[in-house]
Amino acid sequence: MRTAARDHHGRISWFGYAASLAAVLTLWQYGSSQALIPLLFPSPISTWRTAVHLAQEGRLVTDIAASLQRIAIGFAIGCFLGVALGILMGSFRTVRLLFEPYVQFFRSLPALAWIPAAMVWLGTGEESKVALLVYTTVFVIALNTMIGVSSVPLNQLRAARTFGATRWQLFYMIKAPATVSYMLTGMRLAMGNCFATIIAAELLAPKAGIGYLIFSSRSWMQTEFAFVGIVILGVLGLLVDRIFHLATTRAFARYLPR
Amino acid sequence: MSADVTFRGVDFAFGTAQPVLKDLDFQVGNGEFFVLLGPSGCGKSTALNLIAGFEFPTSGEVLAGGKRIEGAGRDRAVIFQDSDSLYGWLTVLDNIAFPLRVTGAPRPERRERALASVKLVGLHGHEGKYPAELSGGMKQRAQLARALVLDSPILLMDEPFAALDAQTRSILQDELVQLNIHMKKTVLFITHDIGEAILLGDRVGIMRAGPASAIKEFIDVRLPRPRRRGSAEFGELYERIGQSISDEVRRALQREDSLLS
Amino acid sequence: MIARPALLLTGVSLATGIAAWWVASHALGSPLFPSPAEIVASAKELVRTGVLLSDIAVSVKRIAIGFVLGCAVGIPLGLAMGLFRPVRAFCEPIVQFLRFVPPIAWLIPAIMWFGIGETSKILLIFYMTVFLVLINTMAGVSSIRRNTLRSAETCGVDRWQLFWWVVFPATMSYSVAGARIALGNSFAAVVGAELIAADSGIGFRIVESGKWLAMGDMFAAILILGLLGIAADRLVNELASRWLRHYLPPAEQHVG
Repeated sequence: MRTAARDHHGRISWFGYAASLAAVLTLWQYGSSQALIPLLFPSPISTWRTAVHLAQEGRLVTDIAASLQRIAIGFAIGCFLGVALGILMGSFRTVRLLFEPYVQFFRSLPALAWIPAAMVWLGTGEESKVALLVYTTVFVIALNTMIGVSSVPLNQLRAARTFGATRWQLFYMIKAPATVSYMLTGMRLAMGNCFATIIAAELLAPKAGIGYLIFSSRSWMQTEFAFVGIVILGVLGLLVDRIFHLATTRAFARYLPR
Repeated sequence: MSADVTFRGVDFAFGTAQPVLKDLDFQVGNGEFFVLLGPSGCGKSTALNLIAGFEFPTSGEVLAGGKRIEGAGRDRAVIFQDSDSLYGWLTVLDNIAFPLRVTGAPRPERRERALASVKLVGLHGHEGKYPAELSGGMKQRAQLARALVLDSPILLMDEPFAALDAQTRSILQDELVQLNIHMKKTVLFITHDIGEAILLGDRVGIMRAGPASAIKEFIDVRLPRPRRRGSAEFGELYERIGQSISDEVRRALQREDSLLS
Repeated sequence: MIARPALLLTGVSLATGIAAWWVASHALGSPLFPSPAEIVASAKELVRTGVLLSDIAVSVKRIAIGFVLGCAVGIPLGLAMGLFRPVRAFCEPIVQFLRFVPPIAWLIPAIMWFGIGETSKILLIFYMTVFLVLINTMAGVSSIRRNTLRSAETCGVDRWQLFWWVVFPATMSYSVAGARIALGNSFAAVVGAELIAADSGIGFRIVESGKWLAMGDMFAAILILGLLGIAADRLVNELASRWLRHYLPPAEQHVG
């Protein structure tokens, strides 16, 4: 039995992809035209037109930039703190025992739950959103980094010791490279969290951003806005995923376990 | 029922790549234990796949019992080198009984026959375990038990002991010989280990290094069973086969080097 | 041997954390920063009035329905996509695109279509679960080793037998993995939806407390959410290792 996912020629051909994409879009167009109230279920065409309109107004760029900016800052801070914490936890048993319960707990407690608290404490502006993004990034990355640090093959360390490596050398020459793939995994997960969190935060405290764009749908009874936002999210998500994929398979390929 | 295997002028290639086998021609007689010996990459596994019906020849024909092979079937049982063909979610007993489930045998009969097979291969006491809980040697025994449960006339074994440690390998080789004395199945056994070939086979086919490989030489092993690894005759045969195959091994290594560089 | 000091350290850590919290809240002295004592008091009050329990029940119900429906659709769809090229070709663009759209993005359209009721929340959970389970199931199908299928072929199986007795069980472990992740994410999804547009549930409790600046209540709800998440995860792990242990990939079978 040949499974579709593993035929001799591997990936589905580009042509097949384009063809099915066209089929899906056609189905969408047809489906929306059958909707009871066209306003509620926009067709691909009206979504596209709205997007163009928004782009011309300059709003599209502003919104996307606003969201991305917040994510960039929050993610960067979260990565920095997360990696530091993860390395410490992975290297020193005491640190791990002290912090692990908290990291595990907060990792499973979604950032969304903290949105109202963040708004009460930090207001509805940028600070609260960035803080939430830092929260949603830090613990995931800390955990993955921690696992990475403690997953170095023992014999690699032993070999280095027979060469007289110092503790510091062991760390930056062997442990650090070994952790790269785990850090990348953590970053990938954290990015997904960031997108989900920022949309929710922007829905609750709308002040420019993709979430705000989607929110506008409700105020203006124009579902197109929401669909434009959704499509943008999909595209951004694909882009980010591609970047991570390239990073792991090209730039950092030699750091990954074969 | 005759259970011989015939290769007639068989060529095989993957798509438009270089042929793996070219003009492969030989016969395994009814009840014969035939060992296919050769360096890595010589296409011996491919030959087995052709008999098993997992692949089809590009030209020429492969026959079992005089009939052309149309695909995999119950008359040709296969034992693979890796144990990934065992089903991890079933116990050893259920794994062994699986073919009987396919043929629709009623439950009590399945259990009885599977247990008989379990005893035959020395897995008694382990039948309630799951594959993940078994050692390498036990997993191969389980594969053997499963292969025997339908009493297929032809047995195809693809380097079944290659992944085991030397001691376990030795034990299983002896047990296989013992088993087959009674069952007298037609066996095609693949290996790259000369000692194993002499110990097990009635006849050994030495394959040339790939690509476009075929059998270079047939050597009869006329030693009485059970055979002793340390005997003089064993040593002589080892020398003889060793010389024949060492050229092929060297060529295979050179080819690998040139492919990598 | 090492467990004792470790447990001790963890206990110390937690105690220190709570103590630090207590000190901080008193130092700040603001009603916006509740002390552990206040949080416990609020929690007790909420339980006494039955509010907390009904919130939990409502949220859990939404998760349960969405999750079960999501698995019921995601697993067959994933299998179909893994096995049949045309199905995969057709569905793949949508799947590859939509998997990156967080469920919460669909909340507003869902509300516009179905109102503020249960449907919109359940839809979100369903959406997220379907994608996770689908993608994992598909990965499961393509990870089936060739020899696993071949050995069945030598028994002379027909297509149905091959599917039901080999392909399906072999894929199961991947589907379960996807389901576990989906369940974990469900809490975030349902809370998100309840924050924005609901009149019941834990998320609603959180945002409502925020409106009244009843931080004690809010923290009690957040704490419950965290504990629920951990409990659900433990439960799934227990069930999976007890009933589905042999369906899990070999590496996981040895653990716990």
